[in-house]
Amino acid sequence: MFDSIEDVQKRLGEQGYICDRSVATVVFLATRLEKPVLVEGPAGVGKTELAKVTGAALGCPLIRLQCYEGLDEAKALYEWEYSKQLLYTQILKERFSQAMEGATSVREAADRIGAEDSVFFSERFIVPRPLMRAIDSEETVLLLIDEVDKSDPEFEAFLLEILSDFQVSIPEVGTVVAKQRPVVFLTSNDAREMSDALKRRCLHLYIDFPGQEQELRILDAKVPGVDKRLAEDLVRLMHGLRELDLKKAPSISETLDWARALLALNATELDERLVQDTLNVILKYEGDIRKAQAELGRLLERKPEPPEPAKPEPAKPAPAASSAAPPAPKPAAKKGRLH
Amino acid sequence: MQKRILDFATLLRKSGVRVSVAESIDAFTALDELTLDDREVFKDALRATMVKRTMDLPTYDRLFDLYWSGFYDGLRSSFDDASAGLEAKGLDLEDLMERLKEFLENAEGMEDADLSELAKALLTQDLSQLEQMIRQAGEAADVDRIENMLQVGFFTRRILEQLGAQGAGDQLRQLLEQLRGMGLPEEELGALRELIERLMEALRASVRDFTQRELQKQNFDYIEKFRRETLLEKSFYSLTEEDIRRMREVVTRLAQKIKNILTIRRRRERKGKFDLHQTLRRNMHHGGVPFELIFKERRKDRPKLVILCDISSSVANVSRFMLLFMYSLQVAFTKIRAFVFVAELGEVTHIFNEKDIADAVDLALEGGDVINVYTRSNFGYAFHEFWKNHLSSLDKKTTVIVIGDARNNYNDPRAWCMAEIHNKAKNVIWLNPESPGAWGFGDSVMDKYLPHTDVAEEVRNLRQLSRVVDKLVL
Repeated sequence: MFDSIEDVQKRLGEQGYICDRSVATVVFLATRLEKPVLVEGPAGVGKTELAKVTGAALGCPLIRLQCYEGLDEAKALYEWEYSKQLLYTQILKERFSQAMEGATSVREAADRIGAEDSVFFSERFIVPRPLMRAIDSEETVLLLIDEVDKSDPEFEAFLLEILSDFQVSIPEVGTVVAKQRPVVFLTSNDAREMSDALKRRCLHLYIDFPGQEQELRILDAKVPGVDKRLAEDLVRLMHGLRELDLKKAPSISETLDWARALLALNATELDERLVQDTLNVILKYEGDIRKAQAELGRLLERKPEPPEPAKPEPAKPAPAASSAAPPAPKPAAKKGRLH
Repeated sequence: MQKRILDFATLLRKSGVRVSVAESIDAFTALDELTLDDREVFKDALRATMVKRTMDLPTYDRLFDLYWSGFYDGLRSSFDDASAGLEAKGLDLEDLMERLKEFLENAEGMEDADLSELAKALLTQDLSQLEQMIRQAGEAADVDRIENMLQVGFFTRRILEQLGAQGAGDQLRQLLEQLRGMGLPEEELGALRELIERLMEALRASVRDFTQRELQKQNFDYIEKFRRETLLEKSFYSLTEEDIRRMREVVTRLAQKIKNILTIRRRRERKGKFDLHQTLRRNMHHGGVPFELIFKERRKDRPKLVILCDISSSVANVSRFMLLFMYSLQVAFTKIRAFVFVAELGEVTHIFNEKDIADAVDLALEGGDVINVYTRSNFGYAFHEFWKNHLSSLDKKTTVIVIGDARNNYNDPRAWCMAEIHNKAKNVIWLNPESPGAWGFGDSVMDKYLPHTDVAEEVRNLRQLSRVVDKLVL
């Protein structure tokens, strides 16, 4: 487990996940209080990633349950292996007749079979699903329940027992209590509001878009090799785009994709043409692209201000850029604050 | 500390953030795990344990500042000002304090006994001590009962009395006299006197600040809650720009709720009974041993929806929200066809499908380039048009929703069109922003249409709307 908030930040950082103190605080508390964390925020800010990375940092295996509409207990928890049970009955037919031999009445025969009942309803015939696996595991695992908001309300109710007591009751077998409490992360895109009962059992973490500086650091960590000035321009443009009223604002994963794309194209500078051509990497709706194209001139316009002092020596862009790096202010840093 | 956290939880609750008892306990346990020297960590910990809805985060942030940090910062800045003023005059405050201390130590026996806690705290500028004292005095003065601006002065005075500010000031001045008697140089005495006056002033200012914060705290929740409550009840006719913006959130939330209910209902229906027939047949090749179980599947019965919306200027605001709502509900229905009319009838379904919500509604209200909106409403003509061109699209799964006030400008109502529509459709629902008392009076022809509707409801605010929609999707 983690020793302190700084330790969380450090160890997540080692896994290539850069987070601020708020996020680290919640992760730290979650491991200390043994409470699940409900992570909310726009798509693509690294909610799922946070869970994965925490698992890696703690060295526990990750068990992931992807939620979707129609997910039920049988898929999430356990299922009786009906066919296997049948198969066994078929194979053991002989033994049954032996067992029943000498029974004088139907009742007696039925009683004898009844005594063997538990053979068929034992863990042998249970197919464990993710939740069961997480609870039944010998070592501490990280359970990621991804996109809980996609599941149905009744599934959510069923999660309650697991999240508060870390136990599952199987009518035929009894209650299975977790040997080691798993570290649980739930992620949600806010497609629907989760019930209060579920929220009460969780710590809540809202991850928003990061500030420019942090996004730069993330970019640096995830896509090494991007020219520093290009990265700055890129991040600034992304922040500008997020301020537009778009159907789907580009998030960090889009920034990374775009950086990789530009890297592949050997781009060293953001010019309008290049942006126009690659806009479909970051924006996923036709309407958004059109809106962004209209604003592109203005968004790129703002860019030349900070690198101005570097302008006189355009011949050697890379070193000039590093000297011009500090003047970049953080106008939109407030917006990207993490809650 | 515990008490203050509980108070804070109460305050959050009053402001509409739902904090359960279990959650405040979580907050305590969380704080046990942390070292509290960092305010941000403290804030994060409380937030993670007590605030679970994203929409509550801004409220939390503001209240946190009001409750925890703001006051201390204000206190510090006013005391900093006090000493900075002196330093600006070229006096070395630290030096002065050192000398004073020395002086007091030399003259034994008298000074400590004479100074009250407050006076000492003031003189040493022990701010955390001061903060605590002000809070205690505030509690003793019942400052949480403050209700309006006019009481600020009153409560400030009461807290100062509780603190014994007057006495402390006198004591400090006396001390000054004593010091003079003991031969402290006149120049330093002057500086000290000024310092004391400034400190007293800073104290008064801080207490006033404290009272004002208390007032904000008490009122904060009230304003918020009031706003939220009334939105549901407020008539569509009298919405301000700000309301409209907030309303959009409420509408989508409401639609979401209904969607949730729908999925539950549908899921319950999805799994049908055990199908013996099919099971036997499918398992023939296992020698009749039923390895595979087959269940009958029920067919999903997703309703179809046809909306006829009056967009004449008299009901434009109402129509806006109805359309907004219908748009949000789109997913719950297999097919929505939307028509708008004033006199002519035009289909705006394509706008609904292509545009995003705000644009779609705006466009639809402008007639969607298909009809002329600058005429007088004529329901009869519009229904006749529908009857002529679109009647065939109705079937027994279709619900027809008419939104309008049925003020027909004395035109022919052509109620027979409505009757035919009613015959073909599953349901006809009429949402009228006027109250039933007014139906059929003046140029209203609601009474003519009434026999041909299954449900006719007055809808002039969100609460009524949600009730109707709940009925409608059943």
